[in-house]
Amino acid sequence: MTTATSTDFHDKSGSTLKEWIFTTDHKRVGVLYLVGAIAAFIVAGIMALGIRLEQMSPGESGLINYFVLDFAKTMPTGTAYNVALYFHGAAMILAFLIPALTGFAANYLVPLMIGAPDVAFPRINALSLWLFWAGILVALMTFFVTDKPDIMWTGYPPYSVTTTANTALYVFTVHLIGFSSILGAVNFLVTIIYMRAPGMGWDQMNIFVWTTFAAFMIQIVFVPVLASAVTLLLFDKYMGTGFFDPTRGGDVLLYQNLFWFYSHPAVYVIFLPAVGLLFDIIATQARNHVFNYKACVYGGIIGILAITGEVWIHHLYIAGMPDWLRIGMMVSTLLISVPVGLLLISLWGTMYKGAIHYNVSMWYAVVCLFLILVGGLTGIPLAITSMTVHLSETSFVHAHFHFIMGLMATFAVFSAVYHWFPKITGRSADSAIAKWALWIKVIGTQVTFWPLFIIGVQGMPRRYWDYAMFPQFETYHTIATAGAFLIAIGVILMVGGWVWSAFYGPKTDSNPWKSKSIEWTHAESPPGPGNFPKPVAVDPYWTPYNYIEWDHDKY
Amino acid sequence: MQQHVALDVAGHGHSSADHAGGHHWEVSWAPMAISFGTMFLVPLTFVFALVYKMPLVAILCAGIGTPLVLAGIARWVHEGATQPSAISNVSPVGVGVFIIGEIFIFLGLFASYWMMRLSAGDAWPPPGTPHIGTTLPIIMTFILVGSSITYHKAEELYEHGDKKGFLTWVVISMVLGAAFLGCTIYEYSHLIHQNFTPATNQFSAAFYSLTGFHGSHVIVGLACFLFVIIGALRGGLHKMFVKVAGIYWHFVDVVWFFVASQVYFW
Repeated sequence: MTTATSTDFHDKSGSTLKEWIFTTDHKRVGVLYLVGAIAAFIVAGIMALGIRLEQMSPGESGLINYFVLDFAKTMPTGTAYNVALYFHGAAMILAFLIPALTGFAANYLVPLMIGAPDVAFPRINALSLWLFWAGILVALMTFFVTDKPDIMWTGYPPYSVTTTANTALYVFTVHLIGFSSILGAVNFLVTIIYMRAPGMGWDQMNIFVWTTFAAFMIQIVFVPVLASAVTLLLFDKYMGTGFFDPTRGGDVLLYQNLFWFYSHPAVYVIFLPAVGLLFDIIATQARNHVFNYKACVYGGIIGILAITGEVWIHHLYIAGMPDWLRIGMMVSTLLISVPVGLLLISLWGTMYKGAIHYNVSMWYAVVCLFLILVGGLTGIPLAITSMTVHLSETSFVHAHFHFIMGLMATFAVFSAVYHWFPKITGRSADSAIAKWALWIKVIGTQVTFWPLFIIGVQGMPRRYWDYAMFPQFETYHTIATAGAFLIAIGVILMVGGWVWSAFYGPKTDSNPWKSKSIEWTHAESPPGPGNFPKPVAVDPYWTPYNYIEWDHDKY
Repeated sequence: MQQHVALDVAGHGHSSADHAGGHHWEVSWAPMAISFGTMFLVPLTFVFALVYKMPLVAILCAGIGTPLVLAGIARWVHEGATQPSAISNVSPVGVGVFIIGEIFIFLGLFASYWMMRLSAGDAWPPPGTPHIGTTLPIIMTFILVGSSITYHKAEELYEHGDKKGFLTWVVISMVLGAAFLGCTIYEYSHLIHQNFTPATNQFSAAFYSLTGFHGSHVIVGLACFLFVIIGALRGGLHKMFVKVAGIYWHFVDVVWFFVASQVYFW
């Protein structure tokens, strides 16, 4: 990375390879997280293209084996398809979304936003980063072994135990990235509690800092349960224990419970920081304070935190449970719409009467508002037990969670990259090509996922590679496949634009958006080691969203 | 002696004046060495040994991983003792947060055990379970509680600057911890001799995963004590590290009550 601005503060000798890969600086750790996450995103995205190509027509396309590097076609088409599904799901969630939001964004932004010189434990931070990279490497081994895991990202027994595929790769990927998350939680919870700039109260933090705090609270409690679940899976497969074997007194539902006990809260680990980024981007570009800050934080964020651990059983509606539990979990699942709704009201309210400046990151953020609506509202029928009986395991579910995770959270990451690009590189990534990339992706995503909603309601099952029994869905699948390739074109344009802009983009000053947040007002672009030329302190009336002159007596 | 410890403690504090100048890009190769060392030592060794049955490659992976991890830890401890930290006195909070995570790993294992136990009804213990005596776990409980007390004593002496007394009591704690592990090994070998292996039945699976996971924490605790002793002997011991090792060890002790009460006495 080139140093754009020059002051005595910068140590210009800091750009050697050694100073990058052995770094313990939170900004560089964040950038290296982003590099790994985008790499995982691209490989997992290529898997998605393979999946769409295979589903384009009912029969066998014969192409999917090439996507998982099985050139000799030793695997049946269905197995190769399952390998692609496994890698797509596991990598997108564990190696792209969570690391991009709680790795890249949290690392780069949280210490800068709270006015801290670094995180509390910089070496533990670097350890988190490289454990994540080790996890990616273990996951990538999938493509170079003959017994590729084909167990979805859920790894449900009994199949994951009885299959000849290499379940251990899945388990260790979860272990490495999970341990990385636990250490990240240790770091960021302590950092946010103890390292805020003098004078900064809890009600003066950026919403993104709050959402990161909540996301890591979820991680520290729930990731360990997933770690224990997959460890027992490993014991079952390779040590001959019978935790999940019903014939020996075990229970397959036990795994599903332990798995979703983490993996539903994981949705909020992704959703919360994504929304937090949107808050900071929208408030800055709309030049407005966050609408109803306290309701948003204590109702929305803390509300989600309070309910997140009581909803996981809606993933098991069909798998089997007592009726009274189904009703209870339906109520808690629907109840979580209340804090989510509070967050959305605040998001929309932040634009109300704002002086909105539509640059590319703001456009991404506005698109996200639409995506949250579609993804959120399609979740309601899935929460209602009577409708889930019909919709479960159809491509309606698939389209629903892609809208909220695959599209909304991903677009929020992209929005954040554009918004903080001048901070990270000292250059702007906003260009006509970036806008073209955005709109190509917007069209591509809608073309891909609306057909899946439609055929899902009509009964198209999820995860099928061959749907010869449903020939009427072929047109929809063909349209969806065309959309997927549009998305790919958009992603290539966007990532290419980032790389080009990082070196040749137009230079910007240290606060191009005239933001009031500390990372823009107090630090250079890019910030040097130690972040701030002078220690940061804030007064009692300071807020990161102070775009309108406040009447101090009223607050 | 006393002077020495006091000097070690000083100098690790963080003053806000450090912000203004003298910053440079901090580097450390220790985290990367530990991460990739762990990748070789655990996933790759396991996969080659147990999945692909290639013992030579597995030994090679372990041979690459072990020195990387050990060198990384040694470097880390050295840096931790000699370099100023970003913020002082928060390590106990960090380890507290980590312990919350640990509690939930144990809860995941306990939930699995309870589920199998409760759904088995009267058919418990399942066939194939030998008589497991309660004398040894009682002795082990006393040993572990004793080691917590001796470490507390060591910490008190450290506060007073009595380095020799401190070292003595840490060594005693370590010996007690090792005795606990010895009891576990004795019990395991005894039970395996009676054909009670992890694959025998539901109880054996839960028994070995709970006690084994707890045992692995004892090993980590002993490693922490080892670094405390090495640090004290070399004269670069961080006050916080003594405290963190103590908090962790007390946690290992408390968890044992839950493990023992559920596995041996229910």
